[in-house]
Amino acid sequence: MNVHQQLEQVFRDVFNDDALVLRHDMTSDDIPGWDSIAHINLMFAIEATFGMQFIGNELAEMKTIGDVEALVSRRGEV
Amino acid sequence: MESTVTDAAATASARGDQQKKSGDLDGAIASYLDAAAQLERVTAPLCLGLARAYLAKGNYAEAIRWAASVVDAGDDYGAWMSAAALIAGAGQWNAARVRRRARVALAASFTTSQLRALLPLAALRHGIDLQVWEGQFGQYRQDLLDGTSALYQSAPDFIVLAVHERDLALPALSGDPEADVAREVSRWTSLWYAVARHSAARVIQMNFALTAEAPLGHLGARLRESRYAMTQMVNSRLGMAAGNRVGMLDCERLSSLVGKSRWFDSRYWHFSRQAISLQFLPLVARHLTAVLAADLGLNRKCLVLDLDNTLWGGVIGEDGLSGIKLGGDATGEAFSAFQEYILRLKDKGVILAVCSKNDDAIAREPFERHPDTKLRLDDFAAFVANWEPKPANIERIAKSLNISLDALVFVDDNPAECEAIRRALPEVDVIELPADPSAFVRELSEYLMFETSSLTDEDLHRTAQYRARSAASAAEQTAASIEELWDSLKMTATAAPFDEMTLPRIVQLIGKTNQFNLTTRRHGRAQVEAFMNDPECVHFSVRLSDRYTDHGLVGLMIAFQRGSVLDIDTWLMSCRVIGRSLENTMVAHLCDVAAQRGVTTLRGFFAPTPKNALVSGLFARLGFARVGEGDASEAWEYDLAVSGSIENRFITLNVAGDRRERASAAGAGLQGCVQ
Repeated sequence: MNVHQQLEQVFRDVFNDDALVLRHDMTSDDIPGWDSIAHINLMFAIEATFGMQFIGNELAEMKTIGDVEALVSRRGEV
Repeated sequence: MESTVTDAAATASARGDQQKKSGDLDGAIASYLDAAAQLERVTAPLCLGLARAYLAKGNYAEAIRWAASVVDAGDDYGAWMSAAALIAGAGQWNAARVRRRARVALAASFTTSQLRALLPLAALRHGIDLQVWEGQFGQYRQDLLDGTSALYQSAPDFIVLAVHERDLALPALSGDPEADVAREVSRWTSLWYAVARHSAARVIQMNFALTAEAPLGHLGARLRESRYAMTQMVNSRLGMAAGNRVGMLDCERLSSLVGKSRWFDSRYWHFSRQAISLQFLPLVARHLTAVLAADLGLNRKCLVLDLDNTLWGGVIGEDGLSGIKLGGDATGEAFSAFQEYILRLKDKGVILAVCSKNDDAIAREPFERHPDTKLRLDDFAAFVANWEPKPANIERIAKSLNISLDALVFVDDNPAECEAIRRALPEVDVIELPADPSAFVRELSEYLMFETSSLTDEDLHRTAQYRARSAASAAEQTAASIEELWDSLKMTATAAPFDEMTLPRIVQLIGKTNQFNLTTRRHGRAQVEAFMNDPECVHFSVRLSDRYTDHGLVGLMIAFQRGSVLDIDTWLMSCRVIGRSLENTMVAHLCDVAAQRGVTTLRGFFAPTPKNALVSGLFARLGFARVGEGDASEAWEYDLAVSGSIENRFITLNVAGDRRERASAAGAGLQGCVQ
């Protein structure tokens, strides 16, 4: 699986939605249930999946799927 | 051999995934169950796969059963969260499985949204349908002291004081450690008394996990003046004060168990006020619900033990008294240690029973004659050794002891016997021992359902006594009312016009504050900058600090002067300081500013949203009068000439004027409250 597919799987697990499809320009507004609790869960799941840690404000700055994918590609174990 | 089994399970599981994707739910379920049958311990992804597939089919009972199984599949936070979301609403779905309903209120000083979500899942493992009420974080004192608070209105059976080390008002080095510790202890016990006065709920206090960082190094351990030593004293004295009346979750022990460098994750603290690493919330949820279950009388009462290769090494019927391993060598010592641990469980009230496939007389011999046996025949309340199937014998044991099957825990080294009990008697909990006897004690100690509420029966008489006593000792309480609390906090607020330093935090608060927000107008940075240059605009932010902590920049107002009227465009406060009377101070400051400008009337607006019901009565409470009927928002007016200025004696207000105060970024980022 490439980063995008892995990320999609993380989102599907967090939101219990096997049909979820990610696009780069998606934000929390595009995914029902992406509130502050889900955001924390997402960040945690991404860290666990890609063996990386967000630093400082990165936890808050991950606004679009593209942001997340770019950062994970740069720093995660992929 | 083992890896072949694992591979086969993985293949079956992957087949299930494919079948589910193609819409073949029955096929997927069959494949998943096939995979589960091949594994010694079912994995969390498999449980979730089954739960989702059953849910898609509308088979709620099985969906919930498998979602709940995630609890036994390890402490994987992500899997727990997914399972918790699946069982939300389980109360209606599976009433049959529920042994008890209970309500718990979380009175917290850290973000508990995640713990709140996980608790019902962990509770389901005990057969408890748990409703969780969650307070605004940081507001626990107000909630507990105010008998009319929403916390008490939720009619909780339990109130969990979810607090942590940072809450302790202890200096790094104290000039008078005895006094500091005593004051800190009474601060917490006074909250227990407040609960006893307002409700019959049982308090569960989290004690304080000592931090991973030690500025004093090893010196801290031998200086009673150190925060490190004082925190230990606070824990110890709170424990003594709690006695049988108040429950405790020993977070200091749990944090040590997993390691403090992992228990604390400062990133998530700074980001969203998580006092405990997310990865350990399943552990906390399991322990907390075990404590609740014990208080509800739902803990397990009886340990049913196999004999051969469980209480000694070898087979007594073949190896004989001198051949079995008990004491002596390393293996024998491991079995002795296990017996010793079982005795400790008996000491606290766990009933012991034997269920063994043996001849009765031979099975009794080691307990009567072996020199290294720790357990004696009279330690067992029931002793069944015969050649009949174990499920039938276990039913007999339950009947003879007059306890129900769901009070039993069966321990065996033999996987086949364990499986037979699981299938025949699902109410009985089964502990399957690992291959290495030196790991038996740990295995049993990690089983949480022998948690004990108290060592003497806490009957109604005792509870009544406690409540009477707590009423009589009102004098020793440090804060009896919310006003006394406010007084004791020695709060100071600082109001200042917006400036470059504070602008980022101001824009952030405007962007995300939902609850204490009268109009929810989401002005952007450019707009706010324009306001700052508008001579008709009155704008200020407030910081709040008290004797314990500096809360930072937590509130703001934007108003526009229209002749003799001042229109309050935006008024909001961070949820971390709700219930501190800061709103009164803010409006008091607005009165002062209005007077300076020759304004005679304040006009406030309330625009209801799904999230700001908290402030629906605010203007009425402050003495504003309703004017006109808007469709989307209400208008309220306050006549300064007639009603005079509003004041708040509980908070000292400093006005910073143009003096630039250093803006603190502390607490910026996502706040713990759900916004």
